[in-house]
Amino acid sequence: MINQMQKKVLILALRAGELMMKSGAEIYRVEDTITRICKACRIPYVEVFATPTGIFLSLDEGSEDSDMHTFIKRIKGSSIDLEKISRINHFSREFTTTDLSIDAGLTILREIANSKPYPLLLRIVGAALVSSFFALIFQGTYQDFFCALIAGACSYTLSVFLDKRETNLFIRGFLCCAAATFIALGLFSAGVGVNLNSVIIGSIMIFLPGVAITNAVRDTLEGDMVSGMTKGIEAVVIAVSIASGVGVALKIWTLLGGMF
Amino acid sequence: MLLAFLFAFCSTVGFSILFHVPKKLIAAAGLVGALGWLTYTYFIISGSGNILACFAGSCVVALISDIFSRAFKDAATIFIIPGILPLVPGAGMYYTMLAILEGDVDKTASAGTETLMMAGSIAVALLAVASVIKLLALMGRKWLTAMKE
Repeated sequence: MINQMQKKVLILALRAGELMMKSGAEIYRVEDTITRICKACRIPYVEVFATPTGIFLSLDEGSEDSDMHTFIKRIKGSSIDLEKISRINHFSREFTTTDLSIDAGLTILREIANSKPYPLLLRIVGAALVSSFFALIFQGTYQDFFCALIAGACSYTLSVFLDKRETNLFIRGFLCCAAATFIALGLFSAGVGVNLNSVIIGSIMIFLPGVAITNAVRDTLEGDMVSGMTKGIEAVVIAVSIASGVGVALKIWTLLGGMF
Repeated sequence: MLLAFLFAFCSTVGFSILFHVPKKLIAAAGLVGALGWLTYTYFIISGSGNILACFAGSCVVALISDIFSRAFKDAATIFIIPGILPLVPGAGMYYTMLAILEGDVDKTASAGTETLMMAGSIAVALLAVASVIKLLALMGRKWLTAMKE
């Protein structure tokens, strides 16, 4: 039978893996972290298979009469949080090199899990920075800078709002980009903006699937084809949702008799 | 050029805030994004196509991220994710959508293909740089152990 110590190791390793996966780490990093934590607790046989939607973990004590144990952790929902990845990375390095106790490890992990992202206001400022400076990069004038600032901040606030209500990936991308486009069109027809295209491009930059593309490639590179495909499809879905959001908004605007 | 650098720096810092990059690494992440974008604009100005420029920019991002990840002893992902975002072809996607709305099939096909190729070139660049670095690290380690003996 499995003893208490091993059960705790399992919980610790799975929690660490789950947190990393939810924060947007690559598959090989998750698998590596789990294996290291288990090996550090002297479990001789560890086999882990991680995908973006679940982690499978098998353990064996290695003695002749021991049973093999397999655990599955389903992972739901994810948001990019690079600080969590960084902290768990440091934690696993610390856990494997020093003789930190398992209970202390669990406390640290709980602390990391409860760490909050930057305050909402700061994130909205961040979104506004992204969209406004992108509008400038794509040949916008300083008037476009302010239009993109407003459109980016509003659409990011909307996305946070939708996120809290657990709307799915497609609807969120669609609604946010449609909202950004409408705001840009509204400001443009009010005579504020100069270059409509640069404002819209700036404000949809926030929602682009850059992370999904990057991780899809890195996973594929490491030989995790299943995860690579999953992330790749995620990137395509997000891209389609953004494009259709902008497209539908522009179409409705022209149908209503607006100009662009 | 200097303005492009500044704009890219500010927008990458914005992305870093959205993705919760640790406070002391935000400036470094911004620098990665800005240098990637600088490479992209340099290639565009010197007359190369979008795809080659995007490839070169992503190579620079991957390379500097790796250097920073060693210098700051942190995962390379933390620099790559915000750094790569300015290069993701949002503009291409938008122009493809506009062409679809105008019902211009030829323009849709050409803009869409270019967008896909740009996304692909980012992917290939990251893959190539990571593989080369891995290979070099492996060779370096072998050489070191050989030297010790």
